Amino acid sequence: MINEELYEHSESVNELLARYGVKFGIYKNGVFHEQLFPFDMIPRVIEKDEFEFLERGLKQRVKALNEFINDIYHDKKIITDGVVAEEFIYSGSGYLVQCDGISPPKNIFTHIAGIDLVQSKNGEWFILEDNLRVPSGASYPMIARELCRRSFPEEFEKYHVEDNRNYAEILSRTMSYVNTGGLSVILTPGRFNAAYFEHSYLAERTGARLVTCEDLIVDDEHLYFIDYSGKRERISDEYLDPVNFNRESLIGIPHIFDIYSKGNVALINAPGNGVADDKGIYYFVPAMIKYYLGEEPILNNAPTYLPYYDKDKQYVLENFDKLVIKDVAEAGGYGVTFGNKLSKQEKENFIALIKSEPRRFIAQEVIDFIDIDIYDNGQAVPRKADLRAFVLMSDEPVVWKSGLTRFSRNPDSFIVNSSQGGGFKDTWVMKE
Amino acid sequence: MQRLRYSYHMQLNFEEPVREHHFKLRCFPSSDERQKIFNEYINIYPTHFSSAEKDSFGNMCIYGAANQTHDHFSVDVKGEAEININGQLKVEAYKAGIFKYETNLTKAGNNIREFHRTLEPSALYTSNFERAKYFMNVLYDEFSYVQGVTGIFTTGEEAFTIRSGVCQDYAHILLALCRLERIPCRYVAGMIPGEGATHAWTEIYDEGKWRLLDPTHNRECDDTYIKISSGRDAQDCSINQGVFYGGGRQRQEVKVIAEKV
Amino acid sequence: MSVLSIENSYRLLWLGRYSERVYTGLRSFAEKFDSMTGASDSESKRDFTKNYCFDKDNPESIHYSLLRAYDNAIVLRDEIGSDTFSYIQLALYEMKKAESSAAPLLQLQKIIDNIVAFWGMADDRIEDENIRGIIKLGKRIERVDLYARMNMSNEDLRREVRRLSYRIARTGLTYDKDALAEMNILVGANNINRSEVVRLVESLI
Repeated sequence: MINEELYEHSESVNELLARYGVKFGIYKNGVFHEQLFPFDMIPRVIEKDEFEFLERGLKQRVKALNEFINDIYHDKKIITDGVVAEEFIYSGSGYLVQCDGISPPKNIFTHIAGIDLVQSKNGEWFILEDNLRVPSGASYPMIARELCRRSFPEEFEKYHVEDNRNYAEILSRTMSYVNTGGLSVILTPGRFNAAYFEHSYLAERTGARLVTCEDLIVDDEHLYFIDYSGKRERISDEYLDPVNFNRESLIGIPHIFDIYSKGNVALINAPGNGVADDKGIYYFVPAMIKYYLGEEPILNNAPTYLPYYDKDKQYVLENFDKLVIKDVAEAGGYGVTFGNKLSKQEKENFIALIKSEPRRFIAQEVIDFIDIDIYDNGQAVPRKADLRAFVLMSDEPVVWKSGLTRFSRNPDSFIVNSSQGGGFKDTWVMKE
Repeated sequence: MQRLRYSYHMQLNFEEPVREHHFKLRCFPSSDERQKIFNEYINIYPTHFSSAEKDSFGNMCIYGAANQTHDHFSVDVKGEAEININGQLKVEAYKAGIFKYETNLTKAGNNIREFHRTLEPSALYTSNFERAKYFMNVLYDEFSYVQGVTGIFTTGEEAFTIRSGVCQDYAHILLALCRLERIPCRYVAGMIPGEGATHAWTEIYDEGKWRLLDPTHNRECDDTYIKISSGRDAQDCSINQGVFYGGGRQRQEVKVIAEKV
Repeated sequence: MSVLSIENSYRLLWLGRYSERVYTGLRSFAEKFDSMTGASDSESKRDFTKNYCFDKDNPESIHYSLLRAYDNAIVLRDEIGSDTFSYIQLALYEMKKAESSAAPLLQLQKIIDNIVAFWGMADDRIEDENIRGIIKLGKRIERVDLYARMNMSNEDLRREVRRLSYRIARTGLTYDKDALAEMNILVGANNINRSEVVRLVESLI
C-alpha cells in the first residue's frame, strides 16, 4: 500500500542519520565505540483499532506496575495476600531497601516505561518485557521521522499517519508534572554511555539542561546546578540514568537520595522501580493487574514458567527443547538460551544449574512472531521484529503514538537488540 | 529500669587537608519501646550544613557537608539512656520479610552450609527465638573471639572459615544461619559498658516482636545494651559514610563510654 | 540568558578554538602543499600529508584538532543544536574519506566547507547570544595565537587582535583586562614581539 519508491531513499536517509550523529555506544573488549543504528525505510504499520487496543492494554499494565511499586515500598499487601512470592522481591536486584517508606512526588515511580511487545503469526500481541529503569530508544524513531518527513512530507499526510514528533512535549509534561519547583535537567553519565545520543537529543528537544554529576550539588536540603558564573539554580527534576547512578553509596551526587526522600527533588525514573521490571516479577504482572485494578489483563504475557515453583519446574524440564530460558539478572539480549540450540552436554549442565538456582531463571514458550519486511540490497526480505512502546505517566498514563521497532538483521535470529547488531524502523500508527 | 550514661566520640585525622567533604552519620541512639534517650548532645565539626532524617530502617541519620578545608573531622554524641528490659519491640510480620533474605555480608557459603547440615533439625525447636539461641550456643563453641583477623568488609562466611573474629562476625554468622531457615533477623549496632568501641548484636523475629541475642557473649541482651541502629547487616548500620577531595591517608579514632548511672 | 555550566562554557570555547585550528591549519596546509612541488620527491610530500593532516595521535595534526572539536561538540548537542553539531560530524566523515583518497587535497576542501558551514550555522541557529559569543571568542583567541606563531603579516595580526578585543568584551566570561591592553600595545609596534603575544593571548581566560 505504501509507495515503494520511498524505499529507494533508504541510503540518503541513513546518510542524514549519520550526519546528525544518530548512534549508540558499545563497548567491545573494553574499548568504547560509537556505532550507527541502521535504519530501515519500510515502516511498521499499526492500524488505528489495533493501536487503540494496545493503548488500553499498555495503560492498564503501567498503572498496575505503578501501584505495585507503591505497595511494595509501603504496605506490601500483595505479599501478605500471597499474590507475589516474597522471595522474588527481596532477593532480586531491583528492590532497593533505601526506598522503603519513600513516596516520590505524586506517587509516580514509572514515569517512562518502555514495554517490549511482539506479535505472533496469528496476530496476537504478547508482552515480552517491561523496562522501567532505563527505557531508552524513543529518540531514534523521533529523529528518523523528522528526517523522513524532510524527504516526503506528503506521504505522511496521504496515509494519515499519527504525528510522532510530540514525544518531547509528552516528556516535558511528565517532567513538569512532578517538578517540585526549579529547573528540569537530564542527567547523563557522559558521552561514553550507550544511550548518550538519546540523552543529548532529548535535552535538545525538551529544552532541559543536559548535566553530569559534577554540575550538580546538594546544599542544605536542595539540589543546585552551578552555572559558569558560580550562580546557583535550584533543580527539581531530572531524567536519571539509574544504571550508572550508584545508589548504594554516596558516589554520584552526594546526598541526592537524602533530599529525594524528603521530597525536594523528583527523580525520573524513580529509584527503586527496578523491582517491577525484574524478569521474575514479570511472571506476576497479570496477577497484579487483577489484584490492584480488579480487571482482566488486556495484553497477555508470553506463556512463562518459574522453575521456582515445582509444578513449573516439572514443565520446564519436560519441555526444555521448546522453551527459551532467560537469566533474570541479565539484560540487553544477553543471558537468553534456546533449549533446542544446546548440545546434550550443555543441556545437562544447564538443567543442573536450573535445579540448583531455580530463582535465577524464567522459561518461556518461544513465540513464533511475525516477520516484517526490511529493504535489503534492493529487495524486501522478511526479518523478526519487536516493538518497544513508550508509556509516559503524568496525571494519567499516555502512550506515545509510535514506538521503536527493532529488527534482527540476521534471518535466523530472534534477538533484535541494537547491541546485538539489529536495526530499527519507524512505527506508523494510523489515524483512520 | 537501668539508667546508663553514654558518650560516642569519633575523629578522622587526615594526613593532607580535605575539602568538599560530604558525610552521612548513623551514630545517634533514639528512643523506642525498649530504651528512652535523655539529655542528648550532638556536636559535629566542621560543618557547612547538616540535616537530620531517618533511613528506611528507621535509624536516625545526620547528613551534611563541610566545604572549607580541614584536616580533621569529629563527631561527639552524648546522652543518657533508660533501658526497660520488658519493653517489647513489636513489628508487623510484613515489615520483617526483608530480613529473611541473605545479603553479601550474611550469605552462607559452603562452610556455613556444611556446618548447618551437622546441626539438630529445626523441628526440635518450637520458636524462632529458641532456634536462634541454639544456633548461638553452637556457634559460640565453634568460634573464637580474636581481634585483628577480620575487617569491616569480611563476610560471615569468610570469618566462619577461619573460625575467628569479632562481634560483627559473630552477628553475621548467626544471621546467616537464621536466614538459611528464613527466620527474619537483623543486625544491631550499639554500645555496652566496658567495650571502648561500638558493639554488635542481633534481633530475632519471634511472634510479632524482635528479641535480642548477643552471640559474642552467648547471652540474651540485658538492660545495659544501648541500641544505635539496626539493619540487614553491618553495612546498613555503617556509622560514617563520606566522600571528599584530598586527604591522603586517614586515621580514625573511636572512643565509646557506656556506664551505669 | 540560559544557565550554562562552567564545564560547558569551556567546552564551547575549545570548540571554537579547535574548529579554527582545523580551518587555518587546512588553509596553510594547502599553501605549503602547493609550494612543495618539485622541491623534493613525492614520498616526503606523502609523509608530510600523513603527519600533518591525518595522524590522529599527533597533537599538531589537523585530524587531532578535528577530533577534539568533535569531542567538545558531541557533548554540546543540547546547547548548539543537532543542526549545528552535524557539520562537525560531517567534517569528521570527510576527514576519514580524505585519509583513504588518492587526491586528499580535494577532499580536504570539503572539511573547510563544513567548518565554515558550522560557523554559519552556529551564528544563524543558536538563539542564545552567550553560547554563540563563547564559540566566536574561542575562534578569535585561536586565530591570534596561530597568526602570531605562523608569522602572518603584522597587519593581519593587528586586525585579529582588534576583532578579539571587540568580541571578548561582549561575552560574560571574566578575562584578564590588563593582558588584553598589553597585547593591543604590543601589536602596535613595528617589530611585534610575537612570543609575548602568544603568552598573553593564552593567559586571557
